[in-house]
Amino acid sequence: MDFMQISKKDFQKFVENLIQSKEEVVGVVKKGKHFAYDILEKSEQLCLDYTETILPPKKYFLPVEETLLKYKTGVASSYEATYGKSPKVIIGIHPGDMAAIALLDKSFSEGEKDSHYLNKRANSTLIGIYPTQSFPHRFSNSMIEKDAYKAADCFLVDLGNDYGIEVVTEKGKKIASAMKAVAGEKGLNEKIAQAKAKIKDEVSMPFSRRELSEFLHNKETHAEWKKRAEKCFSCGSCVLVCPTCYCFDVKDTVALSLQEGERKRMWDGCMLEKFANVAGNHNFRKLAGDRLKHRIFRKGKYIIDKFGMAGCVGCGRCSQACVANIASPVDIVQELKK
Amino acid sequence: MKPKVAFFDFACCEGCQLQIANLEEEILGVVALVDLVEFREVLTGHAPEYDITFIEGSITRPEDEERLKDIRKRSKILIAFGACATTGGVNKIKNLRNLETVRKEVYQDDWNKPHLNTAPTKAVDEVVKVDYYLHGCPINRNEFLSVVKDLAMGKVPRIPDYPVCVECKLRENECLYDLGKTCLGPIARAGCAAICPSNKSGCEACRGTVPNPNKNAMHEVLAKRNLTVEAIIQEFTMFAVNPEVSK
Repeated sequence: MDFMQISKKDFQKFVENLIQSKEEVVGVVKKGKHFAYDILEKSEQLCLDYTETILPPKKYFLPVEETLLKYKTGVASSYEATYGKSPKVIIGIHPGDMAAIALLDKSFSEGEKDSHYLNKRANSTLIGIYPTQSFPHRFSNSMIEKDAYKAADCFLVDLGNDYGIEVVTEKGKKIASAMKAVAGEKGLNEKIAQAKAKIKDEVSMPFSRRELSEFLHNKETHAEWKKRAEKCFSCGSCVLVCPTCYCFDVKDTVALSLQEGERKRMWDGCMLEKFANVAGNHNFRKLAGDRLKHRIFRKGKYIIDKFGMAGCVGCGRCSQACVANIASPVDIVQELKK
Repeated sequence: MKPKVAFFDFACCEGCQLQIANLEEEILGVVALVDLVEFREVLTGHAPEYDITFIEGSITRPEDEERLKDIRKRSKILIAFGACATTGGVNKIKNLRNLETVRKEVYQDDWNKPHLNTAPTKAVDEVVKVDYYLHGCPINRNEFLSVVKDLAMGKVPRIPDYPVCVECKLRENECLYDLGKTCLGPIARAGCAAICPSNKSGCEACRGTVPNPNKNAMHEVLAKRNLTVEAIIQEFTMFAVNPEVSK
């Protein structure tokens, strides 16, 4: 990994030039009192000094709703896949979200490759940044380890007047040279390491990823699930804001003529009551407690057991989004430990 | 053969039917797909029987119950259309008070005249069997179109059974609870694209609730925002969502 640096002023100039070149550039912007990823129209909008965005950047690769194919009704051979576009560059991804993208990359490449996701993913260069603001419930530092570097093309680290740049991939090298970033002066990597450690986790998971998977073993019937379920709305907020969730529903929408249609997929979530409803009106996760358990097992056990990667990256969004205030994985694990 | 479609209204503002009249270009697609045989708001004409009947409005008089039962007998599929029909809607607020007081308040000196007679408000399914529901105040035009298409293709129409929070998240709205406001989104049925919260106004559950709303949790959340029992009841009763809380 190469270490480079660029002044903040030059970085903004680079972003402005990128926008002017008519490429689609996405970055973190202010949204009311919160933050969100959005298409940049001018470089001043970019806000890298942010707490956390409402939704994670996965929305550019797995859109909230996307058309997978179009067809003529009654003509089986008429279907044609459609592919949406993704931004050329996404700027400002926190390490937790970067690790989550690495997990999605893995998941959508397994078995039958998901071309809709992978095509979009290949088109984008990802510029990460280490957080400069704390965020309630965040515990990403202790959870993500190396996964973030499997997805990032480069990472920025705020050094005051400059950004330190960790160049990770060829794409990252290309964009760093487009920025006219310079080779790091002596001692830059120490400076970067210090700056990274400046923002401490708000909470901490008492286990490593591997330990958590083992800890959850035999906790399926713990009384905590039922207890927490009493307060759960099954509203899906915790999973809909989650950067590592990738479940979707597929639906056909036919035109009023009934002659042609589109097959769309849209985000879905296992915390919703009817998510597990199958033919015959059978629901294999009928109770809110079963769903709560499933979410934590999926984040803390199934994913790590299957892929060896973090199923939860500790971004803190679920805890923030939960109106009932019961979603924090750290709180839940603490209760299970009692 | 195109299915014969009819619209009828009971106690309501007829705003949901207006949504159909306002479909503009798409109305041509609708009439190409179905045969509109009775729809007082936009055309004259009657028919003895219907394949699909849309009922707007709540049922507030004994004679309306008879009229509704007669329509049901002549309809293959009957759809409750809009909040007044699906839940009783705002008309049900009167059920919380003494009927005579309500009548005096509205009709003043004329309150006891026979043509102003009224009974406790009922949703359509409290009087006749309802096959499908199109919720909302007003209904969502796209949802109407998708139900019409589904029925024309012989499919069972799917309406959302998840809460408004889902649509709010998908639109990446700031949660109103984070802005110090209250909202029934966590228990309210979606399908409206979270139009009220998207405009910074708390959801009042005009589509009723999801199938198993956690009302206790809703009380707890609202009480934590310092709402009194009265205020909580008020929050729930705009669209006849039974708050299931005692004073």
